[in-house]
This record gives sequence, C-alpha cells and structure tokens, in this order.
Amino acid sequence: MTVTFDPSTLPELQNQPIQRPWRRKPMRFTLSIIVASIIPIAIVAALFFTTNLPGAILMTVIYFPLQLIASAIAAVVSRGTRGIVDSIIIVNAIGATIFSLVVLFSVIGSLIVRGFSALSAHFIYQNNVYVSPSTPLEYGGIGHALLGTIIIVAISGLIAVPIGVATAIYITEVRGRAVPYVRFFVQAMSGVPSVVAGLFILTIIVATGAIDQGAFAGGVAYAILMLPTVARTAEEVLKLVPEDLRTGALALGSTRSRTVFRVVLPAAKTGIITAIILGIARVIGETAPLLLAAGNADATIVNPFGGPIAAVPTYIFNNVALPYPDAVARAWAAALVLLILVGVLFVAARIVGRGRLSSK
Amino acid sequence: MSSTDTETFRDLKAAATSHRGDRVFNRTITAAAFTALVVLAGIAIFLGLQTIPAFQSQGISFITTTEWDINTDPPTAGIWGMLYGSVLLAVIGLVIAVPASLLLSIFMVFIAPRRLASALTNLIDLMAAIPSVILGLWAFYILNPTAEEWQQLLNQYLGWIPIFENTSGNFLGTPFIAGFVLAIMMIPIITSVTREVLARTPPELVNAAESLGCSLWTMLRFVALPYGRGGIVGGIMLGLGRALGETIAVFFVLKLVFETNWYHIIESGGGSVATLIVSRFGEVSGEFELSLLLAAGFFLFVMTLVVNVIANLIVARTGRLQK
Repeated sequence: MTVTFDPSTLPELQNQPIQRPWRRKPMRFTLSIIVASIIPIAIVAALFFTTNLPGAILMTVIYFPLQLIASAIAAVVSRGTRGIVDSIIIVNAIGATIFSLVVLFSVIGSLIVRGFSALSAHFIYQNNVYVSPSTPLEYGGIGHALLGTIIIVAISGLIAVPIGVATAIYITEVRGRAVPYVRFFVQAMSGVPSVVAGLFILTIIVATGAIDQGAFAGGVAYAILMLPTVARTAEEVLKLVPEDLRTGALALGSTRSRTVFRVVLPAAKTGIITAIILGIARVIGETAPLLLAAGNADATIVNPFGGPIAAVPTYIFNNVALPYPDAVARAWAAALVLLILVGVLFVAARIVGRGRLSSK
Repeated sequence: MSSTDTETFRDLKAAATSHRGDRVFNRTITAAAFTALVVLAGIAIFLGLQTIPAFQSQGISFITTTEWDINTDPPTAGIWGMLYGSVLLAVIGLVIAVPASLLLSIFMVFIAPRRLASALTNLIDLMAAIPSVILGLWAFYILNPTAEEWQQLLNQYLGWIPIFENTSGNFLGTPFIAGFVLAIMMIPIITSVTREVLARTPPELVNAAESLGCSLWTMLRFVALPYGRGGIVGGIMLGLGRALGETIAVFFVLKLVFETNWYHIIESGGGSVATLIVSRFGEVSGEFELSLLLAAGFFLFVMTLVVNVIANLIVARTGRLQK
C-alpha cells in the first residue's frame, strides 16, 4: 500500500485548531499543586499565630521541609514516583530564587528606610569641614565626596575609555596576529582584585614619588579596573557592526583609520556609550583602591593633584563603624546616594542598549 | 563571516595598510592593545619586588606562620593565617553560592515563565552591581544580628559537630558571616554564567529528552548539566576569584585575628589577605610594614590571577566546543 498526499486537503489541515495534547493538564494535577502549596503555609501560619516561635525559624525548620514533603506527595499523585526528584528540584529552585530576592530587597529596602532619615538638600552639596562624627544631621554632607567621585571617575574614564576602545579596535578592526593574547590579557586583567590595583598605584607612589595620594592616583587605580570592562563590552558591540560597512568604506577608497573613525565607530556609537556606562558602573562603588591611592579629606578639593581627596565610597567606609548614630545615619544616606547613582547608570545602560538592538 | 569574506577583507587590508597614516594608526592601536599586558607585568614586577624585604627579614616563615608583631626586635610577620583564611571564606561562600546559583539558573532557564525569567535576569544583574561597601554596611547592621541568632542556634543544636564549635560565646565577626556575604557577591556572578550556559543547551536535545519521557531531573542530569559542565565550572571559578579578592565587605563583618582559625566557622575571628591589607594600612607603622603589606598583596594577586586564568580557559574552551 502506498500513502499518497492529497494537496486538496492542505487548507483543511492548516485550518485545524492547534492541539497540544501534551500540554493539557489533568484536573488532579492542578488540584494537587494547589493543595500542596496551601497546606504547608496554612500550618505555618497557624503555628505563627498560636506559638511565639520566631518567623525565620518557622520558615526554614518547619515550612521548608513541610513544603518538600507536600510537593513530593503531590508529585506522586500527579505523575508517580518519578516526579519526586522533580518536585524537590522545583521547590529548591523556587527557594533559591526567593532567597536571592529577599537578600536583594533587604539591601535595597534597608538603604531606603535608613538612608532617607539623613538625606536632605544640604546633605548633597555641603562638605565635611567643621563636622565631627557627633555633629547633628543639620550640618555637613557629601558634597565634597560626590565631587571627588566625579573627578576620580572622570580621570579614570579619560584614561580607560580610549585605551579600552583601542583594545577593542585592535581585536575587531586591526585583527593583528596577537588577538588571542590581547584577549587573554584583558580577561586576566579583569580578575585583578580592586585592592591590588590600589596597592599597585601605592607602590608607584612610594617607589617613585612622581605622584602623590589624590584624585589622579585614585583615577589611575580606577582605570585599571575599568579598562577590561570597557574593552570587552566595546569588542562585543564592534563585532555587531555589519562587515559590509567596512568593505564598502574600503572599496570607496577610504583608508583603514578613516573607515574606523568615520564608519565603524559612528555605527557602534550607542554600543560604545553602553561600554562607557558599564565601565563607570563597575568602578563607582569601589572603595579599597581609593583608601590606598586617594586617601581622604573633609574639604572640597578640585585639583586632581591637590593631595588626598574624599569620595562617596570612602566617606561611607569612614562612617560605618563609628559609635555615633548621626555618623552611621550619614553612612546610610551616602550609601543610598551611591546606590541611586549605580541604579541610574544601570538603567541608562539598559535603555541605550535597547536602542541599539531595536535600530539594528 | 564566511571565509571568502575574510579573504576579501585581508586583500583589502593589505592594499589599505600601504598608506602611511594607516601604519601610524595600526601601530598606535597595537600599542594601546598591549596596555593590559603592561599593567599586569607592572603589578607583578612592582609588587613582586616588595616580597624581597619581606623574605629577607622573615624567610620562608613569612608565608608559613601566623604572627604579626612589627614593634618587637626582630619583628615577626607571617601571613599563613590570612592566606588560609581567604581560602576558607571562599569555600564557605562557594558551599552556599554554588547550589543557590545553580538552582537559580535552572529556575530561570527551565522552570520560570519567560517574562519572570527576564525580570529575574535584570534583578540578578542589579545584585551584581551593588557596591561591596554597601553590602558591608548592610551586613554590619542588618545581617549581623540575624546571623548571630542563627549561629547561636546552630551551636546549641549542632555544636557536637566540630565545625560548629564555639567556646568563646562570641558569635560576631565569624568566618561564617563573612563567607555568607561573599556568597551574596558570588551568586550573581556564577548565576549569570551558568544561566547563559544552560540557556545554550540545544533546544532539540531538550525537546528530544522530554519527548522520550525524561523528567526535569533526568533531562538536567543527562542533557543540560553534562552539556554545560565546563561553563558551570568556569563560572564557579570566576566567582571564586572575586571572593578571594574581596576586601571591604569582609572588612566590616570579620574580626581579623593573627591566629589560624582552621575550621571553627562560627567562632569569632578569622583571616583574609585583602582585609589584612586594608585594616593594617590605616595604622601602618613604617616603610617596613608597608612593604610587608605589599608583599601580601603580591600573593593575593598571584592567587586570584591563577584562579581567574583557569576559569577563563575553561569558559573559552566550552564556548568553542558548544559552537
């Protein structure tokens, strides 16, 4: 017997409603999941209101095992014994997700709750001169530290962005023989701990005396951390530039350097901006390099070579463990400001990055 | 890019590099590209030179003993406890972070609906962006009281296990809390790598496994996890490299002591090279002690470099295999 295909049935076949019999879940499946999720939480809620066991202990010692058992039973009911391992994985996976989110929201929430009490307009622009840890919150602020952070990040950007983009251009445009090695070194550099970057600058200060602790030294230390991020992100975006643009420009008689500056880089403009934002976000909260290379100050300092300078992370660091509630409140407020800065950079990178994808 | 494209490109490149401006351009770019090497070599040389005074005065005991008494004559200094402490903290962090990140990425790739998964990806990326000084502040004021309570309970009920011993009754500044903070920093790093690796499992393999009747576990066990093994190991190593070099967050939650705390993870006091550097730097007694700190920094650099290079080699190799 031969099977023949009758084309006249084709529209009929295509118009059939899509059926996914494997997707259809039997009633007991949904029911067992609902029961298995409600019962443990109900038992724990009952225990919480009738006994005085602490909530965290109830959740881990009673709720979690209870939920595992309930899910395992539900799995046996709906899918047989093979479902038990699956149910354990799913419960644990949801547990791990909730754990991470609890930590994240605990950090953000505590910053908002505790940081707002000390946050005020003058906190943003005043500096720390004449302010001791016991001074009330009506005086003093992080103006000097914000300015310091901006100066230091600007210096590191001026150093790291051209070099980072040039590294990416070497990998994607010049394509010399050393590409794999350059990639390898950039990756190895991205693993340098921030404290080591600070120490390196410190040895240069101590050994040569050419520069002193200050914004410039701090900026160079930041640049060491920023360079790999900028180089790797820029490499990714330059790779997205269509090859036709390069060959087209070269075919029109453009030189290599002109192709890069007039065609490739403009085409990847938003991507390069993303790389810069990510580089800034990488370094802006780093504390250890500044402790070693930039020092600390109470006054507002503008000159990059004008001696030790304050920055937001070092300001937080110096106020955290002081035995004065007002100093601690300042640390929380400064941390909130820093987190807002990081958040703005984070969102900016997403928005710029999304623009790149949609225009492609 | 196909091979003909490459050839065309090479020909064009050869034709174009005869231009003088282009030669200058090529050389400048090539020079800039080697900055990473220059910086790495600079760190190795400058910090490496600083180990000479340390070894001259202390001999090999600089890395085998744990004492720090600079004002005695002759001064004694040893960083063994700190080196060991760094590794201990990282191991505690890994024990918490590896299962959590693996489960988290399994949830994001295979269990969660797409929208929830992409929202989670953003949140985990945000978690990676939290500066360590903020985590340290949070850990000092929010985590510490909770962790103290938990450790007391651990000690009360499981104190007969050697690692949960605590004779001092002080549950603050323990390696466990510091390791926990490191785990929080490692989770987003490991998760972002493992999530990508698991998401790259060919869908036809996943579908085939499921149509053969595999449960989620058998699919993970025989398809997704073996397929992504290299990438997962690489991601864990990247997290480890980050944990070894972490300074500020650990500084706030670990009580630095110059004794080797071998395994009493909920006993107050421990060590970490990076934290040693920052905490001694503030009250450094002179050039000699500074050079000891720089020497300690050299060992930290070597440790993280080795871990990081191995991690990147593993990730790169799996990347090639998977393509």
